Amino acid sequence: MTRIVVLGIGNVLNADDGLGPHAVRVLEAEWETGPGVEVIDGGTPGLDLVSVLHGAEAVVVVDAVRDRGAPGDVKRYPREDVIEGAPRLAMSPHEPGLRDALLTMEFEGSTPGDVTLWGAIPESVELGPGLTPACRAAIPALVDGVVAELRRLGAPPRRRDPPLKPDLWWERRAG
Amino acid sequence: MSQRITIDPITRIEGHLRIDCEVEGGKVSKAWSSGTMWRGIENILLGRDPREAWIFAQRICGVCTTVHSLASVRAVENALGLEIPLNAQLIRNVIVVAHALHDHIVHFYQLSALDWVDVVSALKADPAKAAQVAQSLSDWPRNSVQEMKAVQARLKDFVAKGQLGIFTNGYWGHPAMKLPPEVNLLAVAHYLQALEYQRKALKAVAVLGSKTPNIQNLAVGGVVNAVNMDAAATLNMNKLFEVRSQLEEVIRFVQQVYFPDVAAIGGMYAEWLGYGAGVRNYLAVPDLPTDAAATRFDMPGGILMGGDLAKVRPITSWKDDFFAKNVTEDISHAWYDGDWARHPYKETTDPKFTGIWKPESPAPAKYTWVKAPRLDGKPMQVGPLAQVLVAYVQGDMLTQKWANKCLEIAGGVAKAKLGPAVLQSTLGRIAARSIRAAVMSDLAIKHWELLANNVGKGDTAIYNEPRFPTGTIEGFGVHEAPRGVLSHWVVIENGKVKNYQAVVPSTWNAGPRDAQDQMGPYEASLVGNPVADPHKPLEALRTVHSFDPCLACAVHTHDAEGNEIARAKVL
Repeated sequence: MTRIVVLGIGNVLNADDGLGPHAVRVLEAEWETGPGVEVIDGGTPGLDLVSVLHGAEAVVVVDAVRDRGAPGDVKRYPREDVIEGAPRLAMSPHEPGLRDALLTMEFEGSTPGDVTLWGAIPESVELGPGLTPACRAAIPALVDGVVAELRRLGAPPRRRDPPLKPDLWWERRAG
Repeated sequence: MSQRITIDPITRIEGHLRIDCEVEGGKVSKAWSSGTMWRGIENILLGRDPREAWIFAQRICGVCTTVHSLASVRAVENALGLEIPLNAQLIRNVIVVAHALHDHIVHFYQLSALDWVDVVSALKADPAKAAQVAQSLSDWPRNSVQEMKAVQARLKDFVAKGQLGIFTNGYWGHPAMKLPPEVNLLAVAHYLQALEYQRKALKAVAVLGSKTPNIQNLAVGGVVNAVNMDAAATLNMNKLFEVRSQLEEVIRFVQQVYFPDVAAIGGMYAEWLGYGAGVRNYLAVPDLPTDAAATRFDMPGGILMGGDLAKVRPITSWKDDFFAKNVTEDISHAWYDGDWARHPYKETTDPKFTGIWKPESPAPAKYTWVKAPRLDGKPMQVGPLAQVLVAYVQGDMLTQKWANKCLEIAGGVAKAKLGPAVLQSTLGRIAARSIRAAVMSDLAIKHWELLANNVGKGDTAIYNEPRFPTGTIEGFGVHEAPRGVLSHWVVIENGKVKNYQAVVPSTWNAGPRDAQDQMGPYEASLVGNPVADPHKPLEALRTVHSFDPCLACAVHTHDAEGNEIARAKVL
C-alpha cells in the first residue's frame, strides 16, 4: 500500500507559523482519510523530518511560506519549488529544515517520489498562539488543497458527517 | 591589523545563531555570539494550568521536544513535592536514553562530521583500503568492500548530476581537511547508515511516547502509559520488546561505529585538543534516577571550576540548594528591557530591541536575544563534556571505561598519551558526546530491564495525582539533556502559573557577555582559534559546532532574512 504522509509543519506558539498544524487538525476533524494515509502535526522538527518522512511514497506538506503576495494567500508549490527552488528564495520560515531534510533523503535515495507543498503567506509570526484573521480564513482553501492532492494520489478521503471538533489545544485561553 | 568576520547563520538546523570574530595573525582575537531571534515562550504560560505547561513547553523547539516536556513536569512536581511511581520514572528514563542516542548520532554524522570529513575527497578513495581501515576499528558487519564501493558509486552518481545537493555548502578541499580519502569514504558510508539507526532510536521513543516528534505520554505526577501485560492497547511485553529490539540495534551502531569513528578521526586531528577550551567551569545535573523518589542516579551531576579536575562539587539531588539559589540570568548585553541579573523565579521577559549590529561599527552594548545565565556569578559550560568530566572525576565506572577507551584509541592513532584533561577542547567536546552516548548505550538496557522487571513483578502504578494548594509555591525541574543542563523554573499561585522560565543548555553556552564583561562559552572558546582563510572560516565553525548549537529554543521566532546557507562575510 502506498504510504502517504500529510504533514503540517510550523510552531503553534508563533501565530500564523502554526497554520500547518492547524490545517491538518481541521483536515482530520472534517475528513476521514483512508488506510495508508498518515496525518501528522509535525511541529518544527528540522532534520528529524528525515525520520518523519521515511518510507513515504508521497508527501503533502502544509506550511507558512515566505512569498510575494498578501497575508493568507494560498498557493500550491510543486516538488521542484520545494527541493530545488532558487537558492535565495526561502520558501518557509523553517528553511532549511524541509529542504535540508529532502536533500538528505535524496542522497540516501529515500526521497518520497511525490512532494507537494500547500502554503499560505503569514501575516504575523510573533509570539503567541492563534492565527490572524487572514490566515484563519485561508484554512478551508488549504484543507481543500490537501483533499485534492489525496484524490490525485488515489486516496480520496471521506467527509465526516457531522464533522468532529478539531483539537486546537494551543488556542485555549489561559486562566 | 585585525579583520572582522561575520558568520550567519551558523547552525545546520534551525539557524539563527550569528558569530562575529576579529581575526589577527590567523587567530581569533575577539568573538561575539548572538541569537538573532526573539525568545519569550515563557510569557505564553502565564496564567495557565501547570498540568498543561509541558504541552506548550514541548513546542518551544521541535527538535528537542522530549527534553522540554520532561523538565516542565519535573518543575511542577518539584514545586508540589510530588513523588512519581517507579514505572513512570523508568519509562521517562528509557525515553531520555533513546532520544539522547538519536540526538548524538545525528549531531556527529549529519551536523558536525562534515567540518572534518571531506565528502568530495571520498571519491578518490580505494574502497578496499577503506573497508580495511573500517574493519581495523570494529567488527561492524557493514564495513565490507561492497558497502564502501556502493557508497562511493552513489556519491559519484550524485556529483555527476552536477550538484552536490545536501553537500553544496561544505568547505571541500579546505587546507584544514586532513583525512585520507579512505577515511573520508568510510565516514560517508557511516553518515548514510547513521540515518537508519537514528530512526530506530526515534521509533523506540515513539512506542513509549505514543507519538513523535511530540510525545504525548507525560503527565504531572507520572506518565499515562497504562501498564497491562494482557491488553493490546497498553504498555505490554510486546511493546517493551519492540523498544528493546530497536534499542539493541542503536546500541550496536553506537558502540561499533559512532564511538570508534570519533576516537579514530579524533586521533587524526589531535592538534584540535589544543583549541577551543574556552570557559573551563563545568555544570551537570544528575539524571536517570533508579528509584521513585529520585535519590539515586545513574548519571552523576556536579560542578568543576577553572578546569581543576581535582576539586568537584557533586550535585546529588534534584533539589540541590546551591543550584536552586545561585542560578541567575543577566540581560546587560541582551535585547530585553532593563539591566539586571535575576534569579529565574524573579525574571521578566520583556523584549526591547535596540537594533542589529551594523557590520562597520564596533560591538554595541546589546547584541543578542540570548540572556547570559550564570551560576554564582560565573559563566558555566554545559553539555556532554561537562557531564563526562564531572562523572569521570567522581569515579563513575561506565564513564571511566568509555572515556579511557576513547583516549586510548585516539592516543594510539596520534601516537601520544592522552588523559581526560585533553577533553577540555573543541575536539574533546565532540569526543565527550560519543563517550556519553556509549555510556548511555550501556544504561539503555539496564533501565529497560529495571522497567521490565518492575512491571513483571505486577507493579502497574504510573501516576500520582497532583493537588495544588492555595497560595504560592515554587519549583524547578532539571534534566541533563543532550546539549546539557536544562532547567525549567515555575512559580504557581493558587494552582495557576504565576511565572515561568526555561534556562536552556544553548543559553548557557551561547549566551553573551555579562555585566562584568565575562564572555559566554561559545565566545571564550573561539578566542585563540586558528582561521587560515577568513573567507572560509571552517575552523571557527568546528569550534562552534562542537557545542551542538540548536538555538531554536535558546531564542525563538523567525528571522526576516531567510537563512539558507552559512555565509561568512569578511570586512
